[in-house]
Amino acid sequence: MVDVGMTLEMVQASQLGMKALGAGLAVGLTGIGAGVAEMAIGSAAVGATAENRDVFGLVLLLTVIPETIVIFGLVVALLLLF
Amino acid sequence: MLRPEQMRRLLIAVPKGEIDTVIRVLYRYNVYHIEDFVPESESLEALSIGHPLPGASDAASALIKVRAIENACGINPDNVEVREKIPAPKVREMIRTDLPAIQKRVEDLVATRSRLEARQKEHEQRARELEPFTALPLDLELYRGYTRFTVFTGHIAHDVSIDVPHEKYFSDRVDGNMIAVVVQNEHREQVERTLLDAGFQVIPVPEETGAPADRLKAHADEIQRTAAELTAINEEIAEVRDRHTDLLVACDELLTADVERAEAPLRFATTEETFITEGWVPGDQADRIREALEKATNGRIYIGELDIEDDARVPVEYENPSFASPTQVLMDIYARPRYSEIDPTLMVAIVFPIFFGLILGDVGYGAILLALSLGLRKFLKGDEGRMLLKVLSYASISSIVFGILYSEFFGAALPWPALIFSRHLNIGVAAGGHGPQVAELMVLAIWIGILHITLGRILGMVNARKFHHGKHATKAAIANAGWLGTMWGIIIMIWAFYAIPLMPDLTGLPVVVMGLNVAAVAGAVLLVAGILAIAQENPLELVELPSIISHVLSYARLVAVGLSSVAIAMVINFIAIGMMIQPQLEAITPVGVIIIIFGILVLFMGHALNTALGLLGGGLHSIRLHYVEFFTKFYKGGGKKYNPFGMKSKFTEE
Repeated sequence: MVDVGMTLEMVQASQLGMKALGAGLAVGLTGIGAGVAEMAIGSAAVGATAENRDVFGLVLLLTVIPETIVIFGLVVALLLLF
Repeated sequence: MLRPEQMRRLLIAVPKGEIDTVIRVLYRYNVYHIEDFVPESESLEALSIGHPLPGASDAASALIKVRAIENACGINPDNVEVREKIPAPKVREMIRTDLPAIQKRVEDLVATRSRLEARQKEHEQRARELEPFTALPLDLELYRGYTRFTVFTGHIAHDVSIDVPHEKYFSDRVDGNMIAVVVQNEHREQVERTLLDAGFQVIPVPEETGAPADRLKAHADEIQRTAAELTAINEEIAEVRDRHTDLLVACDELLTADVERAEAPLRFATTEETFITEGWVPGDQADRIREALEKATNGRIYIGELDIEDDARVPVEYENPSFASPTQVLMDIYARPRYSEIDPTLMVAIVFPIFFGLILGDVGYGAILLALSLGLRKFLKGDEGRMLLKVLSYASISSIVFGILYSEFFGAALPWPALIFSRHLNIGVAAGGHGPQVAELMVLAIWIGILHITLGRILGMVNARKFHHGKHATKAAIANAGWLGTMWGIIIMIWAFYAIPLMPDLTGLPVVVMGLNVAAVAGAVLLVAGILAIAQENPLELVELPSIISHVLSYARLVAVGLSSVAIAMVINFIAIGMMIQPQLEAITPVGVIIIIFGILVLFMGHALNTALGLLGGGLHSIRLHYVEFFTKFYKGGGKKYNPFGMKSKFTEE
């Protein structure tokens, strides 16, 4: 589709903008997802650690499991941008 | 190395008369881990828990006194530098002669201090109660003592008009305003309603006389005087602390040893005539302690060696080369290895700093963290803290090395181009450069992930033999091989379809069936075989299959977290130097100087923040890759800590 007054440069620039927008969404939305997931785990983890310090290693592990989501988002964003 | 220290299980039986000697020898050698005797219903009736040695309660009560003094003076023996070792007999002498006097003095001081603190609190409370009344021009005795009148005093939202005969004072000089109303008793309820409508809150009148302002000043003076006295008392306590710390920590150590020795029989089994104890000794120490015991008791002792039946009961002591031993603290956070399994401390000690460097590869940040870890060593006296700092110093050295390779210094480039892959983003001043090699870095991170997980699975096959017996051991080992096969099957199939930089390109191989080439078929076979191998142990495990992909991709964080740290550093540089400092330097004006100073502030604050973020990101993500992606493949943990009976004396010598 060729719109009146749209040059090739403008199309390219807008494509670049869309890429940046996509990258931002990828990081932002996955960040929210990881945050929501870690919220419940984190509070339970702190409670468990207060009861028994020995479980610290285990609950740290459980807390960081959802973090993978946001790392994937970051990877997707970097691949989009470069 | 890769294995906890070998342990031997000893059974010692001695006549009751020799118990003192035996405990003394065991305590001095500090290698015997006592297995506490737990009387069970089915055990021989003749066996029961021993009684403490005579003198236990005296030593315990003396220890409580010493601890109380230490507590009052704020002494923590863990944080006290050793100046000289005091001979034990001298300490015992001093416990008899000097300690009572010190105790009395400290008790007096602490009592005085708490009395003063209570008095200070009381005056502060009174002053707080008085404060609202300073707003009104009435003496305090005028508020009370009436029989026919009612007095309302309190906070109120706004001034009110009262339509019965009354006397009223209002002031908005204090927070929440202040009102005092005097009315005849018969109008009381009506006025109270009017006041409550205006948000009235009662404040009781303090039981004092005179002008509120004068009383307030009197209390303030009293508070000041008490504070001065408190300072003096605290100085005296500090003086006591400075003078007697060495003695107190020596007493603490000696008495703790006495108590532990005297209470040791509580962990032994006894019969009418003998004590029996079971415990663990490192393999190379067993003969030494056996000889020492036999010599000390003139042979009136039986020492037998038992077989190790259950590896969960064996206390675990690490055995690592000295450069790896600080990493044990990272292992202990997760779980100490079981006695029979592989101890991965050495691998963590090597790989953790590499991961940290990959993430935070920057000469500047690395140098700051190195200086920090070396500088804090003086202030941190606990063992664990020091070990963590050692780990951090190795990690920051690795960070500096990777900084040289990446050519990064606080986000800016060093005079040479990146020696491996560039992470320089096109932000601000650096715009127009080569740009980061994100794809290559990402592939590198995936490679690291593939290799790390492969290593983990191979260790898992080795460990399977340790955890299970007979048929199940083989099954578990095959399941681990199955996981490995599935992962490599997927990888080879991906290689067969897509050409990825830095990875083998298998797309060009000859096609055999259905448009699939040799590699794709081989990968598919490996994948199916792997899935079958997993299923033969436990089909439920198959739901975990997607974790193969997510675990490998998770290593992408080595690049992603690192790049975000680089981006922050570059943004800080651009804002501070590119936008604030440089334009002003071209033509210096008075306002420009202020902007330059502000820019320098932004530069420092920003990089300080990024150092903290880099430490958190680099440290947490590297250790997480170990805990979640690496350890879950082979490591069980849950070993008991080896805690020998005895003590390394720091402040006293026998």
